[in-house]
Amino acid sequence: MTNARASRMALLEVERVSKGFGGVRAVSDVSFTLADGELVGIMGPNGSGKTTLFNLIAGALAPDAGRIRLRGHDIAGLAPHRICARGVARTFQLVRPFAGLTALENVLVGRLYGRAATTRAEAVTEAARLLALVGLEGRAETPAARLTLIDRKRLELARALATAPQLLLLDEFMAGLNPAETATAMALVRRLVDGGLTVLMVEHIVWALMDLARRIIVLSAGEKIAEGPPEAVAADPAVVDVYLGSERGSPMRA
Amino acid sequence: MTAARRERAWAIGILAGLGGLAFLPLVARRDDVLNFVFLILLSITLAQSWNIVAGYAGQVNLGHAAFFGLGALLARSLWIGGTPIVLAMLAGAALATSFALVIGAPAFRLRGAYFAIGTLALGEILRTTVGNVLPEISTLPTATIAGYRLAHRYYLALALAAVSVVTVAALAGSRAGLGMQAIREDEPAAEASGVGALRLKLTALALSTGLAGLAGGLFGYYHISYYPSHAFSPTWTFDALLMTFIGGVGTLHGPVLGAILYIVLKEYLAVRWVDFHLLIFGALFIAIVLLLPGGLVQAATRGRRLFARGEV
Repeated sequence: MTNARASRMALLEVERVSKGFGGVRAVSDVSFTLADGELVGIMGPNGSGKTTLFNLIAGALAPDAGRIRLRGHDIAGLAPHRICARGVARTFQLVRPFAGLTALENVLVGRLYGRAATTRAEAVTEAARLLALVGLEGRAETPAARLTLIDRKRLELARALATAPQLLLLDEFMAGLNPAETATAMALVRRLVDGGLTVLMVEHIVWALMDLARRIIVLSAGEKIAEGPPEAVAADPAVVDVYLGSERGSPMRA
Repeated sequence: MTAARRERAWAIGILAGLGGLAFLPLVARRDDVLNFVFLILLSITLAQSWNIVAGYAGQVNLGHAAFFGLGALLARSLWIGGTPIVLAMLAGAALATSFALVIGAPAFRLRGAYFAIGTLALGEILRTTVGNVLPEISTLPTATIAGYRLAHRYYLALALAAVSVVTVAALAGSRAGLGMQAIREDEPAAEASGVGALRLKLTALALSTGLAGLAGGLFGYYHISYYPSHAFSPTWTFDALLMTFIGGVGTLHGPVLGAILYIVLKEYLAVRWVDFHLLIFGALFIAIVLLLPGGLVQAATRGRRLFARGEV
C-alpha cells in the first residue's frame, strides 16, 4: 500500500503558494500537482503571474506562503542552484544564454554543475550529444551571441537538459518564432516528453499549448481560475471571460 | 575546443618567454634593465590577479590595492624581523586572502556598479587608516641595504609571474573557471544551471587577493624606503585595471601583453612628458573601452578578419 502510494507520488506538488510584491499579489493561493512524464501548460493574460510562479518553483523567488514539494521534499525558498541540483531546470522568457561563451561551453556549464556531475570528458561527449539533439550540431564553437533567436532558444534548452532535470520549466519557448520554427520547437518538446521528461510550460501561443498539453492551468490576476483538458478549459466561461471579456463587461479586445 | 587550444598555446608561449628572461641577469650588466623588467613582471602578476576576479568572475574589484597593501605590509614587517622572505610573502598573502573572505561575503551582496563602488571605498578606508596608524617611513636597516641583491628580487618576480600565469591557465580550463565565466555572463542564468555563485565568487576573490598579496610582499621586499600608505595607493588597482583592459580582459594573455605595453609606454611617456602620461593613459583607456572592449586581443582578431576579407 505504501509502496504503491510512493510510486504514485507526484513529482511536483505546489500547495497554496502565494507571492506578493508590495501591494500586488502576483501569485495568490495557487495549488496544483504534476505527475511523472506529464506535459502541463500554463496560460493566462500578461501579468497573471505565470513567470512569477516559475520563479517560485525554480527558486529565483521565495514564496510568502505555501509549500512546493519535489518528490515529497520541500524546495520552497532554496537557492536556485540547489533546486537545479535536485532536478528542476528552466529556460527564460527572454532568452539568456551565456553570450560570451561558445555553444558547447554553455551546455558544459549545465553538465558540470547540474544534477549529473560527471568527468569533463564525459561532459563534453554529452554536451555534444545534446547540441545535436536540439539541432545545433556544427555550432559547438560558435559564441552564443552570434546565434539567431531560435538557435539561442535551442541552446538554452540544451543547457537546461544538460543539468539532467526531472522537471523542465519552459517559459514562452515559442515566443518570437515563425510558424515553421514553432513547429520545429513543438516537435522537440514532444520528443522530450516521449523520452520520459516532465514538462511544465508557459505559453502565449494558445494553439501550440492546446496541441501539446493534456492538461492546462489558467491563471488570471495571480489566481488559478481553471484547470483541465484543453477542450474543457477552452470552453470554460471563466477562461472565455478573461481572454475575451464578459458579455456585460468591457468591450472585446483583439 | 579550438579556443582552449589557443589558450594553451599562449600559456606555453608566455612561460617560454619567462623562462628566457631567467638568463637576463647573466647578460644584462646594468641594474636599470633588471629594474625595468622587474616592474613588468610585478605588473603581470598584479594584472593577472585582478583579471581572475574581474575578468573571469566578472566582479569589478576597485579595492584591489587594499590586498596588495596588506601583503606588502605584513611581508615587509616579518622579513625585516628576520623571517625568510618567501615565508613572509606567504603570510602576507594569507592575510590578504583572509581579509578578502571576511569582507567578500557582505561585499558580494552588492551587484555590478555597487560592488565596484563598495570595494573602492574599502580600499580607500584601508589606505587612510593604515597611513594614520603607521605614519613613519620604514627604511631598511643598514645591514640589509648592504646585502641588497637586485637579482634575488628579479628571480622572485619571475617566479611569481610564472605562478600567476599558470594559476590563470589552470583556472581557465577548469570547471571552476567555466562556472566563474558563466556568472560573469549572467549570474541568475548561471544559478539556474546549478552554479553556486557566491561560493565561486569567493573562490575567485581568494585566488585573486592571494596573488595580489604575494605581489605586494614582493614590492615590500623590493622597495628600499617604504611608506605604508604607498602600497595601499589606488594606483595599484587602476594600473592593474588599465593593463588588463589594454591587453584583453578575461583572457590569459591579455594582462601579460597589457602589462608589457603599459610599462613600456609609461616609461617612455614619463621620460618625455613627466606627469602628462596620466592624461594620455586616461584617454587611451576611454578609447579602448569605447572602441575595443576586448582590448588588444580583440584588435588582433578584428585585424585578422579585415585582412582575410581583403584577400577574398
